[in-house]
Amino acid sequence: MTGFTPDLLNRCISCGFCLPACPTYALTKDETSSPRGRINLMRALEEGSLPADDLRLGEEASFCLGCRACETVCPAGVRYGALLEEWRDRQWQGAARPPVVRLLMFAVNARWRVRLMGLLRRHARTPDRPAGPHLMLGCFERALFPRVSRAALRLLPELAVPAAQGCCGALHAHNGDSERGRALAAELGRRLPGVIVTTSGGCAAHLADVLGRDRVKELSEYVTGRPAAGPPPEPPATDDAGPAPLPARPLRIALQDSCHLRNGLGVWREPRALLERIGEYVELPSAGTCCGAAGSYALVRPRDSRRVLDAKLDEIEAAGLDCVAVVNPGCHRQLDQGLRRRKSAVRAVHLAELLAGPIDHLEAAPRPTNR
Amino acid sequence: MKTAPAREPVDASALRELRAIVGADHVRHADGDVTAYARDATPLFHARPDAVVHPASTEEVAAVLRLAGARSIPVVPRGAGSNLCSGTVPLAGGIVLVLTRLDRILEVSGDELLAVCQPGVTCAALADAAAARGLLYAPDPGSRSVATIGGTVATCAGGLRGLKYGVTRNYVLGTETVLATGEVIRTGGRLWKDVAGYDLTRLLTGSEGTLGVITEVTLALLPAPAAGGNGLAYFPGLADAGRAVAAIIAAGIVPATLEFLDAKCVEAVERFAGLGLRRDAGALLIFGDDGEPAAVARQLDRMAELCLAAGAIEATVAGRAAESEALLAARRCTLPALSRLGSITILEDAGVPRPQIPAMVGHIDAIAERYDLTIATFGHAGDGNLHPTCVVDAGDDEAVERAHLAFAEIFRTAMRLGGTITGEHGVGAAKLPYLAERLGTAQVDLLRRIKAAFDPAGVLNPGKVGS
Repeated sequence: MTGFTPDLLNRCISCGFCLPACPTYALTKDETSSPRGRINLMRALEEGSLPADDLRLGEEASFCLGCRACETVCPAGVRYGALLEEWRDRQWQGAARPPVVRLLMFAVNARWRVRLMGLLRRHARTPDRPAGPHLMLGCFERALFPRVSRAALRLLPELAVPAAQGCCGALHAHNGDSERGRALAAELGRRLPGVIVTTSGGCAAHLADVLGRDRVKELSEYVTGRPAAGPPPEPPATDDAGPAPLPARPLRIALQDSCHLRNGLGVWREPRALLERIGEYVELPSAGTCCGAAGSYALVRPRDSRRVLDAKLDEIEAAGLDCVAVVNPGCHRQLDQGLRRRKSAVRAVHLAELLAGPIDHLEAAPRPTNR
Repeated sequence: MKTAPAREPVDASALRELRAIVGADHVRHADGDVTAYARDATPLFHARPDAVVHPASTEEVAAVLRLAGARSIPVVPRGAGSNLCSGTVPLAGGIVLVLTRLDRILEVSGDELLAVCQPGVTCAALADAAAARGLLYAPDPGSRSVATIGGTVATCAGGLRGLKYGVTRNYVLGTETVLATGEVIRTGGRLWKDVAGYDLTRLLTGSEGTLGVITEVTLALLPAPAAGGNGLAYFPGLADAGRAVAAIIAAGIVPATLEFLDAKCVEAVERFAGLGLRRDAGALLIFGDDGEPAAVARQLDRMAELCLAAGAIEATVAGRAAESEALLAARRCTLPALSRLGSITILEDAGVPRPQIPAMVGHIDAIAERYDLTIATFGHAGDGNLHPTCVVDAGDDEAVERAHLAFAEIFRTAMRLGGTITGEHGVGAAKLPYLAERLGTAQVDLLRRIKAAFDPAGVLNPGKVGS
């Protein structure tokens, strides 16, 4: 059984500055559901004053979204995300790991299974090329949203996309198997030498943690920082073929940040700057706070996930948007389902699709309509 | 006369009654459920409560206190637990009464220049609500984003604007308070002039949860100043900075901000944030004012001149709001910078008369050296409130022990210079050993008799001020 790294655990000075940043504390107003409270639980576990099978200890290990918003306001620089991984390594062994997570981890543990997930749906693929930069195909993104990878490649044709990539291991690292998570990331790093471009904020943060920050670029970061940056993307054409024309005014677009991208990698200006080029950008008050998807959280704790999401959906609907841009497949699925559940006219669209021009999937789905 | 601390445990029948009062979801007692409430922001103090109760109304608070009084169960009221004097650590066990569900701003009145709110509202939320109406809630503690109004009233919190705007007690017009007996009283009210009876509002402000549980507060607001700005000056040593502070006050200026950092703080801030501060200076002074734009600009220029006349190496006035914020960043990141130096950060609080600041910092440096500790000092030069901050490693018990001894000397030195053991954090249990030295035994006895009058069963926050 692994323990906590003392330097990580001792870093917390219990000041409580994390409380207002924490989405689960906002729900409960109970400190046990706050980062400081959870670190106190970890300390009690480490000291042995709480047994590993304590019910609340187990409950809080899964109630935390892992969004790392607390890290951005912590005066003492506590690396809460790393602590949470160590906590789950301890708490979620064997049968204690949520069954949904075990199933997901099984699905992505072997490269052939990941590939199979992708083959079920058509996704972007080019023959293997030796040198980078490479486009990484997130394993859930390729299954759920294959059009995102296609759009990314249309936008950035210079990227190589080997088909047999495997999983980056973020799922494992966030769910009690850091060792496997790191091993998978290292393996992916070997398979995709050079810079790795990803359309998934969650994968980006984990890969950067293992491979180093300079090897990993999230899409918006790559597009803005490209040395040979072409002209800025044109606004999506309004006259492309489709059952209904797009509104004859600029799209009203908001962004939902990916927590790990924003809080883990500090990337949040770049996607906004790109969206401002292609439409009327609207900043939602809660854009930077978790949507409740939080990796596998929406599957493990669907009720809590929806509680976190609800206020955000109200905001989106009140803002008169055409679409909400996302930069991570988890957020994509969460907002997509939430908006459909409400029969909203607003659509969740990945940044890559918006930048790549004609929004092909909107041909299948109803076009965003005017307010 | 000493109030015997109540120490009855919370048994099964008490838990049943508590659940009947606030609902089963809002009573927690399992070990894992109460662990988070064993600490506040004070290092080195922790004790688990027997139960944590989250009431949602004044009536529920009153019923909990009636129950606790009848059964002699200690009760510690708690807001966000950002307290720095162990005021919200349940040293005698019992119930931690968490008031964060009482989090509504009930009224913001521009006509009457006041706000009415529940105790669980954060300082920042109230300040924002006031600002949206063009009003200012003046108390500005460093922890404003998390600290609750109830907690800041109970500790009489201060902050960066003390000299010009005072501390929390200058803004509390009235309270609704539940006494330990369960009776609900309303002290003060909505009036600026109201002298009927003893000033219980002032007595409750700073009472640190030992006299009653505040369930509603009426706070005075001010018209928001039209503009604000800051400047910064480097000095060869703190004595020179002290002369500059004296000259500024003597010139009839009452600055909104007058903050200093000693050389150790500047070094830590530079290493942490790399703001481009001069590392060759012995002290850094940040001065600021607010009001009409032209008046602010004039005052900032005069303060810069006075600093140079007092021996400053360099004095700069920020030209734009963004530059002004950048200057304040040095002060804001002092705690983060210092906390990176070790795993326990003991942020202490003492006060001396303004002219004694350089002498006091000199004494602190000498004490730190004698005990072989890292103690950096920053604070509010305008009101003499210092924050000597000691950084040690969690594993080093012997160093922690030396820190205790060093701080005992620091507090005694502050008193010898005509100062006090706490300017804005409160007494709690951490400063209780020094309280009689500060106030004298006759006054401490009087505090205990007052405590007994409010809380005959001694259930409210035992082991803290008034015990």
